[in-house]
Amino acid sequence: MTENTSLINRKSGNTRPLLMLGVDGVIALEQAATLPTVSEHVTASGKWSREVLVPVGTKELIAELTESYDIVWVSEWGANAHVAFAGVLGLPPKPWPYLPAQFNKLSRIQRFAGSRPWIWIDDPLVDLDPLPADPQGLVLRVDPARGLVGLGKAVFWKLTDNNPDTDLR
Amino acid sequence: MSEALEEKIDTGTGYGLKPNGPLRHLAEVGPGTPYGEVLRRYWHPVGRSSDATSRPRKIKLLGEELILFRTRKDGTAALLHPRCVHRGASLFYGAVEDDGIRCCYHGWVFSPEGQCLEQPCEPGLGLHREKVRQPWYPLQERYGLIWAYMGPPELKPLLPRYDPFENIPDGHHLMVNDAGVGGGGPADLDFNWLQHWENVMDPFHVPILHARFSGEQFTAEMALMPEVAYEYTSNGVRSTQLRVLDESRVLRRVTEVMFPNIRVVPSPKLSEGTTNMIGWVVPGDDTNFRIFTVAVSEDPEFLSKLRSTHGGKPWATLSEDEHQRMPGDYEAQKSQGNVSFHADDHLSTTDQGVAMIRRMMAKQIRAVEAGSDPAGIIRDAESETVSITGGNFLVPTTSSGT
Repeated sequence: MTENTSLINRKSGNTRPLLMLGVDGVIALEQAATLPTVSEHVTASGKWSREVLVPVGTKELIAELTESYDIVWVSEWGANAHVAFAGVLGLPPKPWPYLPAQFNKLSRIQRFAGSRPWIWIDDPLVDLDPLPADPQGLVLRVDPARGLVGLGKAVFWKLTDNNPDTDLR
Repeated sequence: MSEALEEKIDTGTGYGLKPNGPLRHLAEVGPGTPYGEVLRRYWHPVGRSSDATSRPRKIKLLGEELILFRTRKDGTAALLHPRCVHRGASLFYGAVEDDGIRCCYHGWVFSPEGQCLEQPCEPGLGLHREKVRQPWYPLQERYGLIWAYMGPPELKPLLPRYDPFENIPDGHHLMVNDAGVGGGGPADLDFNWLQHWENVMDPFHVPILHARFSGEQFTAEMALMPEVAYEYTSNGVRSTQLRVLDESRVLRRVTEVMFPNIRVVPSPKLSEGTTNMIGWVVPGDDTNFRIFTVAVSEDPEFLSKLRSTHGGKPWATLSEDEHQRMPGDYEAQKSQGNVSFHADDHLSTTDQGVAMIRRMMAKQIRAVEAGSDPAGIIRDAESETVSITGGNFLVPTTSSGT
């Protein structure tokens, strides 16, 4: 896991942090998963379909995260991330923003976020090039056999200051 | 600046455009490049068996210049680096002899495995000749092709067999074509290989490029927009395309890419059943590749007849004006650039298959970097035959999965 905890210092006022989410390896697992998953049939408005493995608990975790973050899809799934997973994850009808990026996503995330604080959660596979020492936000990498759920809620409690005993600064 | 004036200012112009460039990790093939090292874990076709003769032939493969020849005595095909280890003269000018090739400069002779057999100017014809070795690569011949392995010797896998070519029915012929079947252009394709390979997982371009733009290049059925199911397989990515032909019939067309560079594309002219042909997209370097295609058919001219036409004319006879009015795969893919600026792509709904290939490529890079075998490597002789699922299937609507 790569962490830059300076993000917390940038969280200010009533501006909610952005949570930049990859899809493959994060929401949809492709390989032998090491936690319980459900096979889901997802489709992009009928143009194409895929069977993907979604870890049990992803829907609930996403719902919790929306209480503290504004979620942005950052994935080659593009606009279809919201379309395809709306039913599986119980997503709101109004799609979340998306950045259609597959590899080396950092510069697009930085441009999109501007001065807003952000956390980026993704499969390490997306980093074809190494990340800079200070990505100007918090970068979390999942185990692609466990996805977002595999990070554990404790990580998010820390990041959202829901746990007042934790001081990441 | 006033608000009214700001509203009049153009946005989105090309001024100050800063392209992000290619995904070099995936596109480049030379020694030491990420995907170049993946490619070097597999066997690749370097030419037709008939290309190896007693006349040395220049070959470029994965960014390396090589010399292909066949010894006179026992007909062993050989692939050596061209630069003679003595003082660098090219073996392209060498003479092929019974057991190897003789350099034109000082006559050193090298076997197909690079051993120096003779140094005629040296005392005793080279008392220390066993101390030098001309760099070489192992070859095998199968299906009318010569295959080379250019990777770490200790990791050399088995050369796979493919089920369409293992039991050839009576009256059918095994045939090889290196003239760019599926490339839609010349035999030597002059752009990055990945632009062609990933096109295999893009069935949505067919009704546009090959029908709406250029007339019906294949068949009327192929001009229909498909619904597609994508899936990863153990050795690549598969797309299953459904085209509703009428109330009772659906065309179920299955295409595959298999790692590291194989295209399983059934005839776009819709021969029914499991495909009878497989293609290998073989990079010469980063901006040149060839397509080697093997097929089984009753018609010995099957592969040459497969080439699409543009307004009824073969690609090679088109004028510049016709190329522009009736573009095909070559025009589309070549115009993406010598090496496409993938990082500037705006991946959309129709690019799911392309994205899946790129992701699986990145996985193979990681696997090789970690010392593991990439997808599709075969080491067990009992598993050496690869099953192909690609094909064209006419099915009743009720069983198509629509």
